[in-house]
Amino acid sequence: MTKPFSGKTTATLTRRQLLGTGLALGLVGPAMAAEPPKPKTLVVNSSGGVVNRALRKAFFTEFERRYGIRVVDTSPADTAKLKAMVASGNVEWDVTEIAGQDGVLVERLGLVEPLDHSIIDLSRYPESVKHNKFLFPRSVYSTVLGYRKEAFKKGHPVGWAQFWDVKAFPGRRALRNHPVDNLEFALLADGVPADKLYPLDLDRAFRKLDEIKPHIAVWWQAGAQPAQLLIDGEVDLASGWSGRFYDLVMKDAPVAIEWQGGAIKESHFAIPKGARNLYWSQKYLAVMAEAERQAIYTNELGYPGLNLDVVKFVEPRVVPHLITSPENLSKQFFLDLVWWADNQAVAMDRWNKWMLKG
Amino acid sequence: MQLTAATAARPAGRRVRLSRAGRYRLLYAALAAPGVLLLAVVFVYPLLDLMRLSFENGSLAHYEEVVSGGLFGTVFWNTVRIALIVTIACAVLGYPVAHFLATASRGWALFGLLCVVLPFWTSLLVRTYAWMILLGNNGIINKLLVGAGLVERPLPLLHNEFGVLVGMVHVLLPYFVFPVYAVMLRVDRTLMAAAEGLGAPLWQVLRRIYLPLTLPGIAAGGTLVFILSLGFFITPALLGGGKVMMIALLIEQQVGQMLNWGMAAAMCMTLVAAILLAYAAFKRLGRRNAP
Repeated sequence: MTKPFSGKTTATLTRRQLLGTGLALGLVGPAMAAEPPKPKTLVVNSSGGVVNRALRKAFFTEFERRYGIRVVDTSPADTAKLKAMVASGNVEWDVTEIAGQDGVLVERLGLVEPLDHSIIDLSRYPESVKHNKFLFPRSVYSTVLGYRKEAFKKGHPVGWAQFWDVKAFPGRRALRNHPVDNLEFALLADGVPADKLYPLDLDRAFRKLDEIKPHIAVWWQAGAQPAQLLIDGEVDLASGWSGRFYDLVMKDAPVAIEWQGGAIKESHFAIPKGARNLYWSQKYLAVMAEAERQAIYTNELGYPGLNLDVVKFVEPRVVPHLITSPENLSKQFFLDLVWWADNQAVAMDRWNKWMLKG
Repeated sequence: MQLTAATAARPAGRRVRLSRAGRYRLLYAALAAPGVLLLAVVFVYPLLDLMRLSFENGSLAHYEEVVSGGLFGTVFWNTVRIALIVTIACAVLGYPVAHFLATASRGWALFGLLCVVLPFWTSLLVRTYAWMILLGNNGIINKLLVGAGLVERPLPLLHNEFGVLVGMVHVLLPYFVFPVYAVMLRVDRTLMAAAEGLGAPLWQVLRRIYLPLTLPGIAAGGTLVFILSLGFFITPALLGGGKVMMIALLIEQQVGQMLNWGMAAAMCMTLVAAILLAYAAFKRLGRRNAP
């Protein structure tokens, strides 16, 4: 394997580890050479469904081929389960996807092991994530507006202000049963510019949500729901995760994506604290960091890998549908994960009460 | 292992004479021990642990929040209301079914039992999804209604409380039918014949003889349905379209999304207390009216 030139992070991290074990700096090479024994299987936990299928195609098979360790996949990405595993000391996962916006949370709660940058090569990653200590920057995903093409032959709603406009765009609607994204969407619909969203004005957001509430047929709970609701004709408009719609768009289903106002989130993988095969978990993430493998994943799901070289390997037909293609990127905004980690409890309580009233 | 524990109560060498009844009692205790131990380990201990968690840092803070927050109370009474509707619906639908099963000829009874048991054996998730196909906007029922010109646009059957009630009654009906059926089988039919012979009209036979005699079954079935309803999760989550909030959904939110397990535990303990109260009430009802 080629040695990365990501000098700084690697050096500081290794030194810290070495201080802990009391070894001299020069011993890094030999210490690494003696690989820990291979386990029979490596358990990789993720959000399941189409995601697991794509993971197998892009990374699992490659890891199995290279090291002869079978990858067992489990799902869903469940932060509560991660917390329970770490607390009980019975850690079943070797690597896990971190659900949605929980990245900041698991880091704060100390539920994950540090990444070994001498094994996982993040040198070709964007500056904002290449020095991540705990969270492997897998991809980004976006909550976007999906719609039924046949319901809007004369033009579909573009952006959340038009989603809110039930007169110009009649139709049944679905949003997620969660304050994340929806508060942002409400503020955007109310005319707040995308770069002035945070800190979120809860009062204003809920006032705006009051307007749309009677028109929401379904408050969806699971990631697979929006796509299904649109296909079944249960609703005409739905917010949903871009990858779930992408699958349909590529299969020519009667569903399309509007990127305007999409809420982008980083998604992460990490190694649970106390994972049993730490070295092999790091090795697995190293495979996930490779641009060529990421391209396969991207072709399948439209969730772009964050290795900057990935564009060299992605199929051209996929590019217009990527969250990170320049045209799409300019229409969306980045969700503030730190704001959410700080304020989720308050927002959630308020959301629940809001859902219950009339 | 438990057997050895039980026999160890009788020290070797010094034989203690036990009466026949005493020996049987010891044997029964030994036989029950594995089950009791299993329950203690997998049920009682976790429950106590959960209770400990709800008093995090030795304070009542979580309970105060449960009581004063407003959210829990609203959702709790909503859950009780839904559970009551489901229980009543199961009683109204299930009582005649149980009677049919208890009085029909062998062949019909077998067929009827099969109809009740088969869905009972089917996965809860599968049945819930089946209702989505039936009740949806473009579901079978709405397509038939619209196609037949009975309604202009699809009825809102799914993603609301109605959908949740239908799904829950369907899942829980067997829990009502079986206890009532078991009691009905033991009812002495000659009593009803005698009442009729003495000129009592049918509704009086029902009200004064059959209903009181089968009440223990109704109480048992009602208890089961009501208590199971209180903890329902999948059905309201999938059929309610996010608009039907029940207590289990609220607890899941605290466990899974807020990672606030102390709060979740306090909610659980409150729910357990409510269930125990409901159980005691039903039990009294069943006993007071027992023949």
